[in-house]
Amino acid sequence: MNKYLSNGRLWRLCQKELRESLRDRRTLFTLVLMPILVYPLLSMALQRLVIGSVTKTKADPVFVIGAESEDTANQLQGMLAEARLAMDRGFVSPITITRTAEPKSSEAAKSTPDPDGSNQPGLDQLPKFDVFISDQETLSKALRDGRLDLVITRMNIEQVQLERGTVPVYEILAEFRQNDSRSEAALSVFRLATQMINDFQAEMIRKGVDRKLPVAMTFNATGIAEREDLSASIAGVIPLVLILMTITGAVYPAIDLTAGERERGTMEALIATPAPRFALLFSKYVAVVTVAVLTALANLFATWMTLSFGGLGQALLGKNGFSVWVFVQILPLLVIFASFFSAILLALCSFARSFKEAQAYLIPVMLLSLGPGLVTLMPNVQFTSLLGIVPLVNILLLSRDIMTGQSSMVPAFAAVFSTIIYACATLVVAARLFGAEAATSGSQESWWELFSRPKKSQMLPDAGELAIYLAVLFPMFFVASNLGGMIELKGSWALFFNAAILFLLFLLMPLTYSWYRRIDIPTTFRLGQGTGVGEPLWIRVGRWVGYVIGVVLLSAGLWMVAFEAYLLLESWSLAAQLTEADKQKLKADFLAVPFLVVFLTGALAPAIAEEFFFRGFVLSAFRSKLSAYRSVLFSSLLFGLFHVIAGSVLSIEKLLPTIILGLAIGYVAIQTGSLWPGILLHTLHNGLIFGMSRFTEQDLAKWFGDDTKHIPISWLCGGGLAIAFGIALVFVSSQRKRFHEDVI
Amino acid sequence: MISAENLTKQFNVRGVPLVAVNNLSFRVSNGEVYGLLGPNGAGKTTTLRMIMGLLEPDSGYVEIGGVRSTHKSTDIRGQLGLISTNDGVYPWLSVREMLMYFADLYAVDQSLARERLEELANLLDLGGFIDQRCSTLSTGQKQRVTLARGLMHDPPVMLLDEPTRGLDVVGSQAIFRFIDLLKLRGKVVLLSTHRLDEAERVCDRFGLLHRGSLQFEGTLCELQQATGKKHLVDMFIAFINASENSHPVAIPSNEQSTEA
Ligand SMILES: Nc1ncnc2c1ncn2[C@@H]1O[C@H](COP(=O)(O)OP(=O)(O)OP(=O)(O)O)[C@@H](O)[C@H]1O
Ligand SMILES: [Mg+2]
Repeated sequence: MNKYLSNGRLWRLCQKELRESLRDRRTLFTLVLMPILVYPLLSMALQRLVIGSVTKTKADPVFVIGAESEDTANQLQGMLAEARLAMDRGFVSPITITRTAEPKSSEAAKSTPDPDGSNQPGLDQLPKFDVFISDQETLSKALRDGRLDLVITRMNIEQVQLERGTVPVYEILAEFRQNDSRSEAALSVFRLATQMINDFQAEMIRKGVDRKLPVAMTFNATGIAEREDLSASIAGVIPLVLILMTITGAVYPAIDLTAGERERGTMEALIATPAPRFALLFSKYVAVVTVAVLTALANLFATWMTLSFGGLGQALLGKNGFSVWVFVQILPLLVIFASFFSAILLALCSFARSFKEAQAYLIPVMLLSLGPGLVTLMPNVQFTSLLGIVPLVNILLLSRDIMTGQSSMVPAFAAVFSTIIYACATLVVAARLFGAEAATSGSQESWWELFSRPKKSQMLPDAGELAIYLAVLFPMFFVASNLGGMIELKGSWALFFNAAILFLLFLLMPLTYSWYRRIDIPTTFRLGQGTGVGEPLWIRVGRWVGYVIGVVLLSAGLWMVAFEAYLLLESWSLAAQLTEADKQKLKADFLAVPFLVVFLTGALAPAIAEEFFFRGFVLSAFRSKLSAYRSVLFSSLLFGLFHVIAGSVLSIEKLLPTIILGLAIGYVAIQTGSLWPGILLHTLHNGLIFGMSRFTEQDLAKWFGDDTKHIPISWLCGGGLAIAFGIALVFVSSQRKRFHEDVI
Repeated sequence: MISAENLTKQFNVRGVPLVAVNNLSFRVSNGEVYGLLGPNGAGKTTTLRMIMGLLEPDSGYVEIGGVRSTHKSTDIRGQLGLISTNDGVYPWLSVREMLMYFADLYAVDQSLARERLEELANLLDLGGFIDQRCSTLSTGQKQRVTLARGLMHDPPVMLLDEPTRGLDVVGSQAIFRFIDLLKLRGKVVLLSTHRLDEAERVCDRFGLLHRGSLQFEGTLCELQQATGKKHLVDMFIAFINASENSHPVAIPSNEQSTEA
């Protein structure tokens, strides 16, 4: 197999596929012409949307104000009548109405009379206001829905102490719809009307005319940010268009390179070669992803142009518009999405026997993917952590949030990580389907065969199986770890719940899966005594004494390394954001749980479950394709990544310590050929960490000296020595005849 | 040398079992051209596919150079070359690009592949269109490209499935010369065809296949003796009529046949 991966051969295979796609006029058509055609249209449509929400203002000059009581309504009408009276008497109106929609926030409403308002005609008449009376809740809702333009939430008379004595002052509080030009216009007129009354009253008082009305009014309005969500949903259109375009770019090459091979009659010759299917499919995959990414780039560029010129970007995405920074963030997302969707397309098309059949498969998939796309267009759809694992939706929502500048870490991580896992799994499926029915249409291989129970048993799971398994496991793990937070278990129960989940997902499920796929369980999970089966008893006992002492030494040093590695990224952790009081409370809660419970659920249970999975299933799956070094490395990376997702937070600070632990245990597992020493190491390691964290700062100061944050150098040196001796001891004890060597 | 032992393959066409190849055994040694003859639907292509490892036989097995080949075994495929008239070309690649691509698929070294390409271009007279896109080639030119494709890795065993279909007399002549050359180089050649006159000219030995089972096997002489007929065509009609008197199978003429 490796001769296909060397000498640039794989690259040349990719080149051939790329050449084929790029020389095809139909590919070029979607790549170049679509953005050129679509974006002017898109820009016009968006422009209409933006303007459409603005021009409504002029159509209806009667504003509707909501008030809570008859009293308020009367007072309002009286007030407005006063303003009209002032105008009739020839009092110069400061009111101008802005004809265009520029208001973004309540700023606009504060506008004082335009000093050189020559081009802005003053009102010769106050616009009409209708008053609508209802309870607070109905009013708020009506305001949100756009049926009301302004809601008066409070209107009372206060006695204000002035130099000349107390004067009654109207205090008015109102709500308006932010970013809605009609509501803001109503607000602005109303505000200016109050100003005018104030001016008018002052004038009258100066003239000595006594008036019954309160002399002054204060007016304050708060905006409710309803309109912003509408713009967020318009912002959601852009990723949707981009993603649909990316899909469009990938569809044609995907069909052409797979079903097209059958159609042209080249498939049989291709499958008859000794080249591994995965290499064949992978080169096609690279070509499809490349074309998809090129399409994405072209479209992203066109969108960028559309939004940067003509000011649409600011109108839709806030004051920064479509910045270069947004561009830089969206592009990798599109690449990840392209890799995911290309894999899906290839899997479907590999299954198809002809061009037409492939198209028939793809149409429902495209329609299906439009569904979640439309969901993301609805206003108020929050990008929660759980949506982070829903394919397609996650990328759409994440791009929307990036564009409007409000993305958050956990869902983003979940989205990226899960999409990559799904892509890998789908690619594996595609590779198995590709060419499966090359020669005949009547061959029995089908989708079902991929997942059915095989007839023959196998020694180890293969790497492809791992990819598929991970694609199932990751979402489950993610949901489960969020579940713990949701059902609000307290103290020990939360810990037991977590342990149960670990057992289910990392122990029971892999075992069941292995049984179902007829994978050899003792070999895969390294359940035997490993190195040295069949040796005299005393040698075996000797070995195991060596392992146990070695592992104890390792754990004695490793926890310090893990702790220091944790400190490196500690500022990222949730704990770093907590207040001192919160930390104290957490610690108190933690100390309230008996140590036995902590040990069982935090050390022993994870050790058993995670070792079965990561050093059993995962390591063996990698081992079926890769060298021992790489297998240990990759399984440790996976081990680390799974620890980053804990509940609803991202624990980036855990990445490094877990990878280090994974490498150490991986080494032990490979060297001894057994899972058990690793379980012991893992238990001791976790136990020590939890044990140390039960001490108070004062206790620690006794041993660590002044700097209670870091472990003293002398300790670290001791730990380093312990690790070195531990490794050496495990190495020495596992020497001589190694039986499983050729298997694991 | 290749040998097929008791190959059997049954298809299920909408639940109805159809035995395409029935207990078929034969051997072909190096430097020998073996003609697998039979009317449409006799099971020739199915047999070649089983030898190629594209189809798994229901029972029986194939040995290539003494090594038993199994379905999905990839290493043995490097020793086989399959050329069939159904084979297409990549319309957007040039002839050179396509041949080099197949060299890579067979893991042939780049420099060696370039040499072979030159050699095959001379042999099959590809020079005039070697840098032309495949979509622009004529049927005969495509056929020659396909032949070259099957030889880029210089396999010891060549399986030819109706290589002359769609070719004129001159085109067919080129194929015969080519087969002679393969024979000269000591390759195992397995030729499936229903054009009996052609088979008579190039094959050393024949197997007459009908309804999936071998009816006769031997050299032309042996067949003439056994049937008392001079020409293959007559023998063919005779034994098919003998095997099923009720509804005789139409024997394809020397003209082109149409395939379902
Ligand atoms: N994938 C398949 N599914 C179902 N039946 C098949 C399949 N492939 C071949 N057959 C059937 O098996 C029989 C033998 O087919 P095969 O293609 O081997 O014939 P052939 O000898 O090559 O004929 P021709 O001279 O027409 O090429 C035919 O009846 C055909 O319908
Ligand atoms: Mg045939």
